[in-house]
Amino acid sequence: MDRNWHNSIFTRLARNAIIVAVLAVLLLLAVTWATLENAMKRSLEENTATDIAGLVDIYASGGRAELLQRLNDRYEVENIDGRQAHYLLSGTGGTRISGDVPHWPSLNPAISERGFVKLPDGTPVYARSAHLDENLDLLVAREYSADRRAMLLTVAVFLLTGLVIVLGVIALARATSQRLSQRVEGINALFREPADARLESLATLPDRPDEIDELACHSAETLARQGRLLRMHKHMSDNVAHEIRTPLMHLDQKLVKALAAAADGGEATALGQARSDIRGIAGLLDSLLDIASNEARRGDRAGLETVDLSAMVEQIAELYEGSFEDAGLALTTEIAPGVSFAAEPMQVTRLISNLLDNAIKYVPRGGMVQLALQPGPRLIVSDNGPGVPPDRREAIFDRFVRADRGDASGHGLGLALARAIAERHGLALYLADSDDGATFVAEPM
Amino acid sequence: MQRLGNRIEQGQVSAMGSSEGQGLEILYVEDDANAAQAVIALASANGDRVTWEPSGKAGLQRAGAQRFDIIILDRMLPDMEGIEIVQRLRAAGVGVPVLMLSALARSENRIEGLDAGVDDYLGKPYEPQELIARVRALYRRASGQAQGAVILYGAFECHVKARTCFRSGKHIALSPKEFELFRYFMENAGETVTREMLLRDVWNMNFDPQTNVVDVNIGRLRRKLEEGFDKPALETIWGAGYRLTPGE
Repeated sequence: MDRNWHNSIFTRLARNAIIVAVLAVLLLLAVTWATLENAMKRSLEENTATDIAGLVDIYASGGRAELLQRLNDRYEVENIDGRQAHYLLSGTGGTRISGDVPHWPSLNPAISERGFVKLPDGTPVYARSAHLDENLDLLVAREYSADRRAMLLTVAVFLLTGLVIVLGVIALARATSQRLSQRVEGINALFREPADARLESLATLPDRPDEIDELACHSAETLARQGRLLRMHKHMSDNVAHEIRTPLMHLDQKLVKALAAAADGGEATALGQARSDIRGIAGLLDSLLDIASNEARRGDRAGLETVDLSAMVEQIAELYEGSFEDAGLALTTEIAPGVSFAAEPMQVTRLISNLLDNAIKYVPRGGMVQLALQPGPRLIVSDNGPGVPPDRREAIFDRFVRADRGDASGHGLGLALARAIAERHGLALYLADSDDGATFVAEPM
Repeated sequence: MQRLGNRIEQGQVSAMGSSEGQGLEILYVEDDANAAQAVIALASANGDRVTWEPSGKAGLQRAGAQRFDIIILDRMLPDMEGIEIVQRLRAAGVGVPVLMLSALARSENRIEGLDAGVDDYLGKPYEPQELIARVRALYRRASGQAQGAVILYGAFECHVKARTCFRSGKHIALSPKEFELFRYFMENAGETVTREMLLRDVWNMNFDPQTNVVDVNIGRLRRKLEEGFDKPALETIWGAGYRLTPGE
């Protein structure tokens, strides 16, 4: 069976594993980014807080001149941590007294406001402000582009690692799903078409079996047991047939000899009748074994071949045409062309011929019988005869049951065999509800 | 090995006898002595010679060592399945026609036999005349007398390609299936054709329906072949089947 890839449970599992891997990488990335961002901010906060506290101290102890002197010293210093420092000391109305920042960013020194801002030239910085006295405000800022670069590098490394992990998961999931799929397909193939050699290999457990090994082993054992039962059933049927038919044959041969010696008349007639009874017993035995065999092989696909059912039904109708005419019955057909079916041709031929035999037996002269085949396949044999009372419509398919008509011959196995054959082919054979006559329908269960 | 049966004089043998003009050389592999006796008696009365082997192995050896026209095989032998014997014979390149004569006579059993390489399959108990007819037909089929485009027998002509039938030069209109039936009789002209053979070869059925479909179809063909003629065309052979007569 060709299974569409998205129908496979293993493909779905693999796809889910890949989605989980991608989401996990993205989530980890987001968490890492937030952590790094947080650490950077804390570090910038500490950095600027220390610097501004020092300068406030200097102003408190040394006054404005000392502060300006120290600020000038700081302009000369190159920061080794890559965080370029910027300062602004402003007087009344924000006029710049010292520093490399031309004018105040949007921070309020009265409340020592701090945060990420952009300098007038567009450089992003972390800045902290302080109100030194009524006419003096101080701003300390640090560039953080170097921190940002380090963060981006970390993220790039992280993304690359994540990509490698996701690709690894894809490869692993794909290989695993294919392998699992193949192993389960092996079990399915065995059920579709049991083969002894494969049964044996699957029934052997490896040293460290997993769940599929166990499933395969149990399946193989069950199939092997089923095969054994079928073989035993066949063996038993063959033996029964042999053991009963052989003495019947000896009896028949004695009757043939007696017939050759008998004078014509009553004795010969009686001997002839005895021989015909022997054939009746053999026929009864065969029908019973055929029913048992079809029942035992129900659902077994071995031995089925594609059959042109339309041609088969056409041919049987032709064979029976004269017999219907002689029985005073009109046989009409309505056969859809090109209906094919996986079947044992001889058995299905028998199913159809048994239904026609039944119609000839039970529909009185002048009646009408229709044989129809529809795609599906759906086979219908309907007549306008006396029909079967609703409470007997199931019983007529039982062994040895005949309709209540004294003149009907046979063992009452024809319909039981027809149903067994139908079910062996996955068809239900039943008597449909109808007001007029009997309507036998065989169609997929 | 036991050899039973006796060689019979030339002239007693039917026209379908082996190439030397004697009866058929038949190998019969059967473990049941009573069954074997019956077949041997039947074959001898028909002018055929039967070599009887009571076991599968002996039968297989005999079949490889000697030339036979027909092999009749029982199916359930104590030492080997008849089916296996056929398979081994076929694998060894022995193409002698095989008739399986078995108590396993259901449709399913017959198909197994035919699939294994058996040429014909007859169930026990059997009608003696049926066995004779089958053996004859099998031999005839195997000896491969190719039929031409026109088969002639007595007053009858069968034009195979044109699918037409003539009796004493008069065209007889037949339905396609009636023609198939007529042609089968012409191919087996003068020989007994059984119901089982007709079902199998003309209608492709290996079981006997409860309705007398064969008799009815034969009846129709017979009426068409005999209408307007004094002499019969098809005669009924009691306990066996039918035979086409020369009709002149």
